[in-house]
Amino acid sequence: MKKNNIELLSPAGSFDSLQAAINAGADAVYFGVEQLNMRAKSVNSFGVDDIARVADIARVNNIKAYLTLNTIIYGHDLQLLRSILTEVKKHGIDAVIASDFAVIEQCSQMGIPLHISTQANVSNIEAVQFFSRFADVIVLARELTLKQVHDICNEVRRKGIKGVSGDLVKIEVFIHGALCMAVSGKCYMSLHTQNASANRGACTQNCRRPYLVKDAETQEELLIDNEYIMSPKDLCTIGVLDQIIRCGVDVLKIEGRSKGADYVHVTTQCYREALDALESGNYTADKIEAWLRRLSTVYNRGFWEGYYLGHKLGEWTSQPGSAATEKKIYVGKGSNYYPKTGIAEFTVETGSIKPGDTLMITGPLCGMVKEKAQKLVINGRVGTEAVKGDKITIPFGIKVGRQDKLYKIVEAANG
Amino acid sequence: MAKIIHYRNKCIGCNICFELQPELWRMSMKDGKATLLRSQEKRDTYIISVSECHLQQSRDVAKACPVNIIKVL
Ligand code: SF4
Repeated sequence: MKKNNIELLSPAGSFDSLQAAINAGADAVYFGVEQLNMRAKSVNSFGVDDIARVADIARVNNIKAYLTLNTIIYGHDLQLLRSILTEVKKHGIDAVIASDFAVIEQCSQMGIPLHISTQANVSNIEAVQFFSRFADVIVLARELTLKQVHDICNEVRRKGIKGVSGDLVKIEVFIHGALCMAVSGKCYMSLHTQNASANRGACTQNCRRPYLVKDAETQEELLIDNEYIMSPKDLCTIGVLDQIIRCGVDVLKIEGRSKGADYVHVTTQCYREALDALESGNYTADKIEAWLRRLSTVYNRGFWEGYYLGHKLGEWTSQPGSAATEKKIYVGKGSNYYPKTGIAEFTVETGSIKPGDTLMITGPLCGMVKEKAQKLVINGRVGTEAVKGDKITIPFGIKVGRQDKLYKIVEAANG
Repeated sequence: MAKIIHYRNKCIGCNICFELQPELWRMSMKDGKATLLRSQEKRDTYIISVSECHLQQSRDVAKACPVNIIKVL
């Protein structure tokens, strides 16, 4: 069921994630290209040439696609910026998400719809009013409380603040994903230590590591135990989504352009279901618990509700990496597809698969699909274990190719 | 003689190589990435030979590159 007018906006850092977001019920996706997005180091980052294909896929699937161009822009980037925006215009990407005034200026000149990124740290109604001259959607700072979000939404309506399109300006908030210890991501830590500017998308995430405190006088060192004091837990609002909706926000954003298709699928699907449940009056404690369990299966650093409920400081995570309760282990990739019979063939490259294993397939056409391998056909025969070099075949309704990856899902030790 | 190798397509255009060693680097106005001056291209990899006097500085540049795409051999 498609609900009221609230838009669920999912991250698409790759074609796999894009398809996963579509399958799981996103209303819109955001993606970045080249070095001018905050995920410049992401392995799967899109190029300018991919803009047309993303636009096509979004159009066919009846969702919106927004291009994130929210780094600091230097003089030497201006030409690249112009060529990216030319492609955006040509292929009808629905909007650009920006914080640098060069991007805002060029989009305005070219008549490209604009969203103001959370990097602009919009925290009050006057800032909304200012940016509404250029934009149609304003993403609020992630550090606001629900009361502050509510007040801003009320004021937009009361004052009738309209965006460029002539409609009331829309307010967007983050509902799930990684948080940063710095306000609106404006962090200089990895620039200081590794010359890698987070504001150019090169964050090395050194805040996520454990630290020693050293007494300068005695040289005594203390390890900060059990807490990664600069690494906040991830935002998760599935349990307070009713309160967020009541604030009057228009767009709900899930963070995670550098995460896998499994993360995009599970997070999008849970929030889609939660929104639909809210719409039909079925948003219950049992369901929230079940969604939380599912959200915990994919990448996360533990959950909290962010600053929405009035926390002034972050809740810190207690472990270095993901606290996901499930782990995906890469086993191989797609090697053939038989369209007549709908059979996909995968070549095992590492590890092993046994009947009863839960398999996960990610790819640009299938997004993310999980299947239990009830019986295993190995090199054309029913077998008990597939190992490196073996070809396994499974019935699969969607075409599979070399870009499709096969994983085995196991319980994570820390789960 | 030493070699500098630049894996250009992964460049995020942070500017630091140009700032540290303007005699060997430029920021391209066309695509915003760094260009290794007078280098030869082989499948998106750019190589030049440099004399010993550039070596230490080139090593510093390689260390400073946030995405580790400059190698000094
Ligand atoms: S230091 Fe590295 S990333 Fe930065 S501009 Fe030079 S080559 Fe590109």
